[in-house]
Amino acid sequence: MRVRLDNIHKSFGHVQVVKGLDLEVEDGEFLVLLGASGSGKTTALRMIAGLESVTSGRVLIGERDVTNVLPKYRDIAMVFQSYALYPHMTVFANIAYPLMVRKTPKAEIAAAVQEVARQVQLDTLLDRFPKQLSGGQRQRVALARAMIRRPAAFLMDEPLSNLDAKLRGYMRAELKHMQHELGITTIYVTHDQIEAMTLAHRVALLEKGVLQQLDTPANIYNRPANLFVAGFIGSPPMNFIEGTLKDGLFTAPDSHFGTGTRATRTAAVAGMRPEDCRVTEPQDGKLTGTVYATELMGDHTLVTCRVGTATVTVKADKAFKRQDNEAIGVDFAEASVHLFDKASGERIA
Amino acid sequence: MSASPEARTLMQRLFEPQTLESMAPVPRFFTYGALLVWTLVVVFPLYWVLVTSLKVEVQVDSGPFYLPFIDFTPTLEAWDFMLLQNNTLGPYLNSALVSLVSTLLALLIGAAAAYALVRIQFQVKLAAVLTFILLVVGVIVAVAALDVPWAIAVAVAAALFVLALSTVVRRFRAAVGNNDIEFWMISNRIMPPIVAVLPIYVMFQHLKLLDTQVALIATYTGVNLPIVVWLTRDFFAGIPRDLEESAEIDGASKLRVFFTIALPLVRSGLAATFMLVLILTWNEFLLALFLTNANAQTMPVLVAAQNTTRGPQWWYMSVLIVIMIAPVIVIAGFLQKHIARGLLAGAVKG
Repeated sequence: MRVRLDNIHKSFGHVQVVKGLDLEVEDGEFLVLLGASGSGKTTALRMIAGLESVTSGRVLIGERDVTNVLPKYRDIAMVFQSYALYPHMTVFANIAYPLMVRKTPKAEIAAAVQEVARQVQLDTLLDRFPKQLSGGQRQRVALARAMIRRPAAFLMDEPLSNLDAKLRGYMRAELKHMQHELGITTIYVTHDQIEAMTLAHRVALLEKGVLQQLDTPANIYNRPANLFVAGFIGSPPMNFIEGTLKDGLFTAPDSHFGTGTRATRTAAVAGMRPEDCRVTEPQDGKLTGTVYATELMGDHTLVTCRVGTATVTVKADKAFKRQDNEAIGVDFAEASVHLFDKASGERIA
Repeated sequence: MSASPEARTLMQRLFEPQTLESMAPVPRFFTYGALLVWTLVVVFPLYWVLVTSLKVEVQVDSGPFYLPFIDFTPTLEAWDFMLLQNNTLGPYLNSALVSLVSTLLALLIGAAAAYALVRIQFQVKLAAVLTFILLVVGVIVAVAALDVPWAIAVAVAAALFVLALSTVVRRFRAAVGNNDIEFWMISNRIMPPIVAVLPIYVMFQHLKLLDTQVALIATYTGVNLPIVVWLTRDFFAGIPRDLEESAEIDGASKLRVFFTIALPLVRSGLAATFMLVLILTWNEFLLALFLTNANAQTMPVLVAAQNTTRGPQWWYMSVLIVIMIAPVIVIAGFLQKHIARGLLAGAVKG
């Protein structure tokens, strides 16, 4: 079902955590709420769940206004970061709990549990207790408990962050597959941009309680709406150089280059992704500087250069070899330059 | 552990856990010696009570005799009198009923209160509390000294209270929070109970409930509530919030969360608390002495009653003490596993 947040505000005492959040999640969509800690993403999710009251604004699930509805009447399921499995119940009882609470007939419960357990490959572990399971198995119990009810929406609060890196990658793929199969609207909170990029149909990037950009992963990456998004998404992050922009010509203290626009600003920031840059001889690059550090990452080398007062990181070939402090040039295509207004941080054109 | 003995400081060696088997002979000898002495200190009174229960008056007065069959001939006379001729069963059943029911009630109410104090933030206006106390005093004065019918006095007080809530009370900021409520509860146990005995006596006298099990159950439940709240609140505070929120989203009501999630998770703590409160009520003497007479008499009072004009009847007392101790030991045995865990809860992770 559709989930809509309508100008949501949330304050704890004098601290404003969420400031006027508008969000519309389509039926069957996988939406990721991405942000650093303290960005208000978890608070937003908890407001959708009904675990946190809404200071002002409305929460709608389907066509129903649930702003003041208790969690149990919202027809949602949530997966917690800690999994929140009931330690005194078996896997079976854990998965069955939402149905038992609703007084579903015993035979129906048993059949339903068997079915979801098979879907998440837990059918042989139903008699175990949570403490006898591995991290990944616990995670799947939490998923099964959420799935058994076919809720209007899934809410997930960093469900993969307690798993080790390898398992996380595997569960990510599994989660994506499952959401696609079930077609249930999913709102997923994470601080991990890789999870956001790989899982989401659309990503909502939050910072300090304000929505920065809501778009597909590709658009967020290729056309960041402002300086914050540009700096947040991408690893290593985008390079920024400050200067002035006159009729599309960007001028920094010791360099100038065209940008493929006709815009003019007295204070602007040019951004280049490390993979859009290449290292050249000093005289050939749009920027010139010195090598500050080189890091071999396996399939590529990260070259960090000092350009004036700025630092520019370039994703170079794995065979790249230069001494530190050696002079170097950095080149890039004009079209790959992202331009932002320095004062407002907004994207130019 | 891996360091050589020389490298460890004296303090480390003193406090390092060791098994008796791994000790050198001399410290081992002293350790066993100390343990043996302490065992005697603990066990001897129990043994003495048991032996005394097998004696008659002469053997006690001309004693001490320590070993049955060797320095005196044991007899079951005292047992015969206490169990078959004297009405011991009545007080025994009273004790069992009163302590079990009041402990379970205190546990249920106290655990619910503790849970609420942990999970709900209360902000009661201090002015409202003071107004309430003032009005209660007013009602008592009006009824007792001025002969106002109590129904009218209570109605007037209630009306005044509502009026005060919507006017005067709103002007004051100071509020009573959870910590204040908890402190107030435990402060009820700071006062020695003897202070409250007379008012309680008079209260039950007016209610015509003196010498009934109901009076004792009500009193013990009230008296032990603070202990239950104080002990169980930490157990509830140790439950991860996520579990309860998850259950709420899964569709459970607050009451259901309390009974199906919170209570089962603190069962070790509850077992330890149950045991403690049960022993407190089982052994309680002062209130029972005042509130009971013949019908609702409990075992501690019966034991004390063996101190007659002919002097203390040690052999009868010993019989009563033995049958009083027995069930407590049995219950403690059953709950031992839980109690150890409950007392350690919070001390170790997991």
